[in-house]
Amino acid sequence: MSRGQGIGILETRNLTREIRKNSRSIKTVDNVSYVFRKGGVYNIVGPSGAGKSSFLRLLNRLDDPVEGEVLFYGKPLASYQPTALRKKVAMLFQTPYLFPGTVKENLEYCCQLKSDDRAVSYLPRVGLKPEFADKDAESLSVGEKQRVAIARSLILEPDVLLLDEPTSALDPASSKKIEELILTLSADLCLTVVTVTHQPEQALRLGGETLLLVQGRLVEAGETSEILTEPKTEMARKYINKELE
Amino acid sequence: MIQTGYFQVLMAVVLAVVAFVLARWKSIPVEKEIGFGTVRSFVQLVAVGYALEFIFASDSIWLVVLAVAIMLLVGAYTAGQRAEHFKNGFGIALIALTTGSLVTLGLMLALEIISVEARYIIPLTGMIISNAMNATAIAFNRIGSDLKGNRLAIETSLSLGKSWKESSRRYYRDAVKAGMISILNFMKTVGIVALPGAMTGMILAGVSPLDAVLIQIIVAYMLLSSVTIAAIISVELSIRRFFNAAEQFVV
Repeated sequence: MSRGQGIGILETRNLTREIRKNSRSIKTVDNVSYVFRKGGVYNIVGPSGAGKSSFLRLLNRLDDPVEGEVLFYGKPLASYQPTALRKKVAMLFQTPYLFPGTVKENLEYCCQLKSDDRAVSYLPRVGLKPEFADKDAESLSVGEKQRVAIARSLILEPDVLLLDEPTSALDPASSKKIEELILTLSADLCLTVVTVTHQPEQALRLGGETLLLVQGRLVEAGETSEILTEPKTEMARKYINKELE
Repeated sequence: MIQTGYFQVLMAVVLAVVAFVLARWKSIPVEKEIGFGTVRSFVQLVAVGYALEFIFASDSIWLVVLAVAIMLLVGAYTAGQRAEHFKNGFGIALIALTTGSLVTLGLMLALEIISVEARYIIPLTGMIISNAMNATAIAFNRIGSDLKGNRLAIETSLSLGKSWKESSRRYYRDAVKAGMISILNFMKTVGIVALPGAMTGMILAGVSPLDAVLIQIIVAYMLLSSVTIAAIISVELSIRRFFNAAEQFVV
């Protein structure tokens, strides 16, 4: 199945999220509808405060919308047990968090059995040697922590991986490795990867499809190369020219 | 036995004056508090003394219930003020303090450690509620600050398909332990670092040291029981305010 051409795995319909700020309601996500296909790579881009992270949090039900819905395999998220849903729609945050203990203990956090050697076998998939398993999680670099966090999520064998600015705290070399990893995982495991990124250049490197959000609204969406090189709307042009930051 | 009367109390005011003079000399801005505190504690304690004399003499169970209810309400209100990160701290504290007090006192009555008399129930309930109130206040404070300060850790765990209970278990345990730390430290050091106030009071009032010690041991176990119950209930109920049925962290 070619990337982005598979069946719809996640679908948002008129998705709207509001937050209360200074006793006023502010729409952080405003009427966003889109279909994410199995095995596809998707980038959510937009200026600061565009609602990118807010949108991502709705996809694994860390938050609920005030209007609209998200469908996973055609069924509303509310029809799934939240704990079961989040194993299938895994999410990683901007700052990777590893629990106190060793890398192995972090990987085992997701396993049913403590002595499950399967956990350590996930390290090579994210480009880390098995010897990493005995390292103290606290001693790792941010890039290494992000890889362990990805490995920890992969143990759950998710269908969708949501990444909230996974390289924002990394140096260019580590960022490149994470980008390569995202593409490999998507291709090898037919994993749908949705990445929030602040950088249009990163979205171009990841390819796939891109959704441009501005003030919570979906301004433009489609093939990444088209959106970011031949924008159709004035808003998209302004974003690419960095006039919206 | 120590001589007690208003004359001795008046003489003891000299001690408060020493504190006042020292504070003033070193320009520590607590003179007002010392002045008010000296008068206030005198008025409050004398009033309580008369109230207890009246209740003991009347032998009315309803007056005992009323006194306990007032202590519970004031204790719950004070502990509830510490619930900065969630709503209805007062209600949760009231349940925690009431359960801790009733279970502990009920067991003491059932095991015939004490009998149903105002002179046992009121002072012991006062000790139970004041200790349980402190435990609840500390537990409230700890659970609120720990959960708010560890949002990333909690949401990481939720995102790995763990339930809110699994994701917050560590903070639950820490908060209960924080609420109990005072009584646990007390039990470790009692008799070595300091003689407890109640025991000292009994010895000063003429009770033999061995009798005072036996009563103090009962008091220590009583406080351990009530504090543990109150700390667990206060954390058990308050932690639910941070999550909803969709396993979302909502505060």
